[in-house]
Amino acid sequence: MAKWDVVVIGAGNGGLSAAVTFAKAGKKVLILEKHNVPGGYATSFKRGRFEFEASLHELSSYGCVPGAGNVRKIFEELGVHDKIEWSRIPDAYRMITLSDPDKIDAIMPFGVSNFIDKMEYYVPGSRKKMEQIFDLCERLTKTGEFFGNISSINKDLVSEVLDEHMDFVRVAPYSANEILKAVGLPKKAKDIFNAYWCYLGVDCDTINAIHYLGLIDRYINYGAVCAKGRSHELSCAFQERFEELGGTIYFNSFVDKIVIKDGKAVGVQVKGRDEIEYADTILCNAAPHNAVAKMIDPKDLPEVAVRQTNARKFAGRGFTMFLGLDKSPEELGITEHCYMIYDTANTVQQVKSMETIEGNNAQATCCLNNAVPGCSPEGTTILYFTTLYTADCWSEVDERDYVKMKEYVGNKMIDNFEKATGTKIRDSIEEIEIATPATYARYADAPQGTIYGYNAEKWDGIVQRLLMPASDDFIPNLYFAGGYCAQGLGFGSSYTNGYQTAKRVMKKQQKEAAKA
Amino acid sequence: MSKQKFIVKSNFKDIKNFAKLIPQRKAMLKSGSASPVPKTYPINELAKLNHPGKMNLVIDEIIEHSPDMKSFIFKSADGKKLAPFRAGQYLTLKLKIGSSIVTRPYSIASTPNNARDGFYNLTIKRVPDGFVSGYILDNFKVGDRIEAYSPEGTFVYEPIRDAKTVIGIAGGSGITPFVSLAGSIDDGTCDANLVLLYGARTSEDLVFKKELDDFAINEKIKVVYVLSDSDEEGYEKGFINADIIKKYAPEGEDFSIFLCGPKAMYNFAGKEIEKLGIRKKFVRFELFSSATKATEIPGFPMEKDGEKFNLTVKQFASQKVIECVANESILVALERAGIESPARCRSGECGFCRSKLVSGEVFIPSNTDGRRLADIKFGYIHPCSTYPMSDITIKID
Repeated sequence: MAKWDVVVIGAGNGGLSAAVTFAKAGKKVLILEKHNVPGGYATSFKRGRFEFEASLHELSSYGCVPGAGNVRKIFEELGVHDKIEWSRIPDAYRMITLSDPDKIDAIMPFGVSNFIDKMEYYVPGSRKKMEQIFDLCERLTKTGEFFGNISSINKDLVSEVLDEHMDFVRVAPYSANEILKAVGLPKKAKDIFNAYWCYLGVDCDTINAIHYLGLIDRYINYGAVCAKGRSHELSCAFQERFEELGGTIYFNSFVDKIVIKDGKAVGVQVKGRDEIEYADTILCNAAPHNAVAKMIDPKDLPEVAVRQTNARKFAGRGFTMFLGLDKSPEELGITEHCYMIYDTANTVQQVKSMETIEGNNAQATCCLNNAVPGCSPEGTTILYFTTLYTADCWSEVDERDYVKMKEYVGNKMIDNFEKATGTKIRDSIEEIEIATPATYARYADAPQGTIYGYNAEKWDGIVQRLLMPASDDFIPNLYFAGGYCAQGLGFGSSYTNGYQTAKRVMKKQQKEAAKA
Repeated sequence: MSKQKFIVKSNFKDIKNFAKLIPQRKAMLKSGSASPVPKTYPINELAKLNHPGKMNLVIDEIIEHSPDMKSFIFKSADGKKLAPFRAGQYLTLKLKIGSSIVTRPYSIASTPNNARDGFYNLTIKRVPDGFVSGYILDNFKVGDRIEAYSPEGTFVYEPIRDAKTVIGIAGGSGITPFVSLAGSIDDGTCDANLVLLYGARTSEDLVFKKELDDFAINEKIKVVYVLSDSDEEGYEKGFINADIIKKYAPEGEDFSIFLCGPKAMYNFAGKEIEKLGIRKKFVRFELFSSATKATEIPGFPMEKDGEKFNLTVKQFASQKVIECVANESILVALERAGIESPARCRSGECGFCRSKLVSGEVFIPSNTDGRRLADIKFGYIHPCSTYPMSDITIKID
């Protein structure tokens, strides 16, 4: 008999939520984490008198009242919600374009009716179409949750789909822009509506409509939150809950081998340690790419695993600049929490320009103080600027030029922010830190420094992934959870995926046990 | 649920297209190459080069400045490239001394380009009653293999943040990061002006004087020696105070002050800098060379001085009970007991030694409490800057 019921490789968001879900069901669970903190990208770090949020902009699907929003439901069910001091994000976003002849500068609020009103203000005559879209969004989200919970396709499921979910079926084959076109949303309204594309990293001609409309619904309908103690608080809360439920976590434990016996995963090995941690179930929160390329002996790999791993494309590679400023947001004139600054509202062109370091002028900039008042000492401000690279352009940077290249991008982000908002921040920088794709490559061992997992290509959107929940189960007893998996990237998606994967695995095991 | 019907192209086409989704993805997944999945990518290799974790080094040369200060030239012991760094960063050496396992951070005195050429220079000064520096100076010899953690530290020049001119204030072994900075300005790696105010008792105590004088030929670098105990021609006399800073500061423009030196210098120069009334963003300190006795820390409960406690250490599946004492940090207790723990900066800042305080009372000096908010909330400590006040239990992994 194995020592553990479940070993979880990596304490990222997907790993933590899966681990708590397993532990809550009475399983004996061990988490092995290579860092000395939980969370993966969900963490924080300090510089001088500032504590920076490492990655989260806003956690979606987290409503104001119990049970509101899918992510909130999971946090409540797992017993994590009450361990966290929450802060609500005031507005959805301010979108500004830099180079379009018809410059957009729009501040969009949370709340469906507020959002529609504001859109009507910017784009008179858009109301009816917007109402139609949000009505559709709401129905699609319900169906999306339904699809997220399926573990296999059977007759009952098909009849339920035919009864309740036909809109989903008809929308699912198309991209966001195809649906907006079918609705007949005016161009400018479409441009403003598409601002969130950067949270998925795929242009709106490509991104699956269910994915994008679902995202809009999760944000606009439920609003968004973050933790006062940064996402490190989220991760610590999950860990504490996990340990309360009897779980064991080892830090500084880098798993470099998944042990396969008779074609089944039976355990893992930590780098530098002799003993194997045997388990009935291995849940891998590390990138499937790393498992296939480095952690599993090639002779134990079915060809299908290699082929399907090679078939997938990496999504955006991350870059973030963190600034601590020695003036308050009021003094600086920074009024919003989230600024989406783009060259152009044309998402296809924008994604294309992000293939190179020089061409990329897109950024999502957050002012943490406008979400968590008092998050930095009085008279100071925390700003963080994130962009994505849609190709592996950082691999062409020579080690000798690396520091200069970081500065080049940092300077460009500051210039673009000042240009877009009319604020002056450059002279007030007290602390600076810059994370590049190399940083993400190191921190999470992420291939090419991706922070968004696998790209949601047209053929590999979340609809297809959700309809094939077992497509990564290529070795018995080995499962994957996290941002590379079915629900796609992002905090809410990863927590949801970890939770649902754990449920799916347990359901499957119960069935197998019943058969035996 | 609303039964409103949404049709995109036509009911038939939409359903037909839906039916294609799974087969399409299956076909695409199957069409992937059967050749091995790449193990790495250039940017992942750059990440490994920049942060190799542990490095195996060998002492290639030792330069004796005085019996109490030596430069150690380290090269790679295993043929791997040395990790690049930025002037002002430190290396952490990991040593086994007797039954203790200790780590110590030392600023790198050589330049980033020297690392590319294959070496680091750590210049180490004997700390009175210091456990590790004395050991190093008396025992390290050419050919010794030493384990080190990759370069870390934020005491670096950041063009986006800092003023064009840096006023460096250095004393004792605190000169080392400035030697690196001067070198990297001189070779063009770093674009800044440096005015170095280097304090010592007498001119005899000025380590690196020749190197610094050579760098000062470069118009971007100026070196001013400030002697406290002797009056010599060509040197400033006294301590580095507000007047001397003002005298050498660029006129009519902002400047950044970087300070690294012994405790006495922090105490004195720190107050002098305050007199200048410059913004916090223009003043940066390197903390770790300022070792302080626990009993001199403001707020230390003096009645506990010397009191011994049991420290229960949980690490992975094992558990050990060792001794600790109120006036020594928990990290020192771990080191004495030969327990390997992942510590680096030793000043509360870097967070590598972050550990769960399972039970017990501790004293954490507020000026070196570098913990994150959630770590405070969920009961984590940095053992390097935490003192036991009762029997305690920690989980360190």
